[in-house]
Amino acid sequence: MAKPRDAVSGSTKGIGVNGHPPTPALSVEGLTKDYPGVRAVDNVSFSIARNTVHCLVGENGAGKSTLVKMLTGALRPTSGTMTVRGAAYAPGSPHDARQGGIATLFQELHVVDQLTVQENLTLGMERSRFGFLVKSDLDRRAVQTLAAIEPSIDPTMRVSALSVAQKQIVEIARAASSGASVIIMDEPTAALSEREVERLFAVIRRLRETDVTVIYISHKLDEIFALGDAVTVLRDGRHIATKSLSDVAGQPELIEMMIGRSVFQTYVPRPSVTDEAVLTAQGLTNHRLKSVSFHINRGEIVGFYGLVGSGKTEIARALFGADTVSGSIRFKGKPVERSPKAAIRSGIALVPEERRTQGLFTSLTLRPNISVMNTRRLSTHGMLRSADERAVAAEYVHKLRIATNSIEKYAEKLSGGNQQKVVIAKCLFADADLLLLDEPTRGVDVGAKTEIYDIIRELADKGRSVAVFSSELEEVLGLCDRIFLLFAGTLEAEIVNGPDVDVSHILHVVTGSGRSVAP
Amino acid sequence: MTTSRKTVETLSNDRRMSDETFITLLVASAAVGVFVLASAVVPNFFQPLNMLNLVTNNWAVISLGIGVTFLLVSGNFDLSVGGNVALAGVLAVWLAQSADGAHALSTGFGLPTTLAILLALCGALAIGGLNAFFVVRLRVPSIIVTLGTMMLARGIARVITQGSQRNTNLPDDFGVLGNLTLFDTAVKLPVVLMAALLVVAIVVEKKTVFGRLTYLIGANPVAARLSGVDKARHVTYLYLFSAAIAGAVGILLASEFKSGFSNRGMLMEFDALVISLLGGVAIAGGFGSVVGMVFGALILAVVTSAATGLVLSPDWQFILKAVAVFCAVTTQTWALARRHR
Repeated sequence: MAKPRDAVSGSTKGIGVNGHPPTPALSVEGLTKDYPGVRAVDNVSFSIARNTVHCLVGENGAGKSTLVKMLTGALRPTSGTMTVRGAAYAPGSPHDARQGGIATLFQELHVVDQLTVQENLTLGMERSRFGFLVKSDLDRRAVQTLAAIEPSIDPTMRVSALSVAQKQIVEIARAASSGASVIIMDEPTAALSEREVERLFAVIRRLRETDVTVIYISHKLDEIFALGDAVTVLRDGRHIATKSLSDVAGQPELIEMMIGRSVFQTYVPRPSVTDEAVLTAQGLTNHRLKSVSFHINRGEIVGFYGLVGSGKTEIARALFGADTVSGSIRFKGKPVERSPKAAIRSGIALVPEERRTQGLFTSLTLRPNISVMNTRRLSTHGMLRSADERAVAAEYVHKLRIATNSIEKYAEKLSGGNQQKVVIAKCLFADADLLLLDEPTRGVDVGAKTEIYDIIRELADKGRSVAVFSSELEEVLGLCDRIFLLFAGTLEAEIVNGPDVDVSHILHVVTGSGRSVAP
Repeated sequence: MTTSRKTVETLSNDRRMSDETFITLLVASAAVGVFVLASAVVPNFFQPLNMLNLVTNNWAVISLGIGVTFLLVSGNFDLSVGGNVALAGVLAVWLAQSADGAHALSTGFGLPTTLAILLALCGALAIGGLNAFFVVRLRVPSIIVTLGTMMLARGIARVITQGSQRNTNLPDDFGVLGNLTLFDTAVKLPVVLMAALLVVAIVVEKKTVFGRLTYLIGANPVAARLSGVDKARHVTYLYLFSAAIAGAVGILLASEFKSGFSNRGMLMEFDALVISLLGGVAIAGGFGSVVGMVFGALILAVVTSAATGLVLSPDWQFILKAVAVFCAVTTQTWALARRHR
C-alpha cells in the first residue's frame, strides 16, 4: 500500500520550496447552503492538496452530497467561496464545472454500450467537419491516458463487452483526458467485486501520478484507509476535521468523528441460540451453486460470507424460492414449495440485495410498501381494512425509527438507510420465522447500520432465525453466531463465532487461496 | 399494539393530497374547463340532453377503458379490445342466425340467443387467454402481443362475415339487450351496465387487495414478485376481465344494431388508450385511476362534439384529439414535476 502523502496543507513536509505552502488543488472557504428551514452545509472550510486522494466521509445527511453538488455546479452556495488551483471558481452549471477542470464519476455509469471504448472516451467532445467526424488530438490524448492508467483495455473494443469496473475506468480516462484536474468519485466501488476494487485502486493511484486530484466518497472505511492520503469528515452539515490519514488512529476514530460517539461492535454470544434446526438444505445446486448443504437453528443468526460472485445471493434467492435450484430444502420439517409467495406463507422473508429495484416500490408511499407482504392479515374477503393498514404502517415507522413525518411519504424521497428500514419493516410485518437479509447495510450510514443490527439481534432473541448474506466481514463477525464461508459457489467452511476467530483463516478461505494447498 | 395512539395519528394524518388525487383533480378541472368553453362558444351546446349524451354516447369506449386502465396500471397494454368487440359481435350473430338461410351470409347455426351470447363471450375470453399466455408465459412485450391479437380477432370477424356483415335471419329476441330501456327513460341497458361496472371498478381499484396488487405490479414487477405477489395469475385475470368487457360490449352493439359487422369497434382500442392517458394513467404503469379515465373520456367527448357543433367537418376530429392529447399529457408531466420540485 502506498504511504499517505503530505496531504494536509500546513503539515511541515507540505511546505513548498520557498517557504510558502503549494497551491491547493481545491479549497472552500465558509461554504454554506441553506434550504427552506434547513442548513444543509454550514460554514465549511478546508483545502485539498494537489495530486492526492482526498476522502470525504460522513453519515447520510451529513452534507456530503450537497457539498459535491456545489462543487459540480448543480447547486449554487448560499454563501462562501471556492478556489481551484488558486483561481476563483463559481460554477453555474455542470458544464461550467467541467470547464473549470472538475469532473465527476457518478454511481450510475455514463457510457454508451453500443459504441467502442475510443468513441466513448471522446463522447460529447467529437470534432466534425462538414458533418463528418474527424480525428483530433483529443482522440490520441484520450487513448494515451487510457493506456497509461489501464493498458489492458483495448480502445477498439465495444463497451458492452466490458465489465462494470472496466466501464468505470473508461469513464475515469475520459475525465482525465478532458483536462480535469479534480475528479470526484461517488461510491465507485458499490458494484465492484473485491478483485475489481483492487484494480480500480491501482488506476486511481496511477491517476495521482498524472497531476490529477481525486475526491473519493465512500461508506467503506477500509477503502479509505487503503487508498486515501487525507480525509475530511462532515457531520450534520458542519466540518469536523480534515486530517492526513496517517494521523488517524484507525476506523474507530474515524467512526467516532463521523457520528460523535464510539460504536465499534464486537460479538457477544447470545443465549437464545438453540440447536433445534428450523431449516435444512441439502445439496443445493444451480448455475452458481455446487452442492451446498447447511442448516439454520431456531433463535440463531447465521452469516454467509464470501466475495461478490461467491454464491451468497443465489443461496438467499434459492431458499426464498425466487430462483430454481435442485436439492432439498426442508423448513420446519416440511419440504418448501418453490415460489416467493409460498415461502412467505410458510414463514420465510427476504430483504433483497438491491433495495431500489428489488425491495421497494419507490413510486408508492410507505403505507403500501410496508403492508405488501401480509395483505391477508389486513383484509376481509379481499377488502382492505384501511384503518388497520395505516395503524400497522405507523407502528413500524415508529418502531424502526424511520425518519419521516408521514406514512404517505413517497419511498423514493427517503435516504438510503431509511429506505432499507422500510424494506426490513415489510419483512418484519410478514411475521417470518426465518428472515433472509442480503447485504442488509449496503449504502447505509453508520447510525442506521447500528439500528439495523439491533433489530436483527432483537428478532433472534425472540426465537426467530436470521440469515445474513454479506460481503462485509466486520458485519458478519459483529453479528452472527455461526458463519458459513463461501467461495465460487461452494460452502468451504463453517465456523462458530467467538473471541478466538481467526480472521486471516477466513480471508484465506473466501479468496480461494486455501484450495490448492493439500491438508 | 405498543405504539401510542397519538403517534399513529400524527403519522397517518397527512393532509397533503396524493399525487393521484392531484392529477385526477387536474383532469377533472380540465374537463369542466373545456365544457364551459364549449358552452360559451358553441351554439346550443349547453343543454341538459347534450350533457347526458356526452356520457351515454360513449358507453362503449368508457367500458373498454376500464379494462385498459387496469392493465395499463399493471404495466401492460391491451390493444386487442377493438378487434375483440368485432369478433364477439360477429360470433354472437353467426351462432344465432338460423341454419336455413338462402346464402352463406344469412346462414348460421340457429342456436338459442342466450347460448349464442355465452359462446361469443367465450370467443372473446379466448383472445384474452391468448394475450395472457403470450405476455405471462412467453414474456413477449404486451404491446406486440395485443397488436397481434387485435389483428387476429378482427381477421376472424372478417372471415366469418366475408369482409362485411351478417344481419339477416336473426331471431327477434337477439335485438332485446342492446335496445332495452330502463326505468321508463331513454337510458339504455348498456349505459346502466357501464355505470354499474364503473362503480365496481372504482371499489376494486381503491378498496380491495386485488386493486392494490395491480398498482404494486405496475410500480415494480420485480419487487412485487419478491414480496409474494403472483404476478402471472394477476395479469392473466386482468386480460380475461378486459376481454370479457370487450366481448360484452361487442355483443351489446351487435344486439343494438341487430348485425355482426366486421368493422365495428375499429380504432376503439386507441380511443380507450387515449382516454386512459388523458385521465392521467401512466404508460409505464403503477399510476392512474378509473375516475381519471372517465374524466379523460369526457374531455375527448366534449372536444369532438364541440367540433361537430362548430360545423367543422368530421375530418377535423383526429387533429383535435391529437391537440387534446398533447396538451393533457404535457400538462400532467409538467404539473407532477413542479409538485415534486
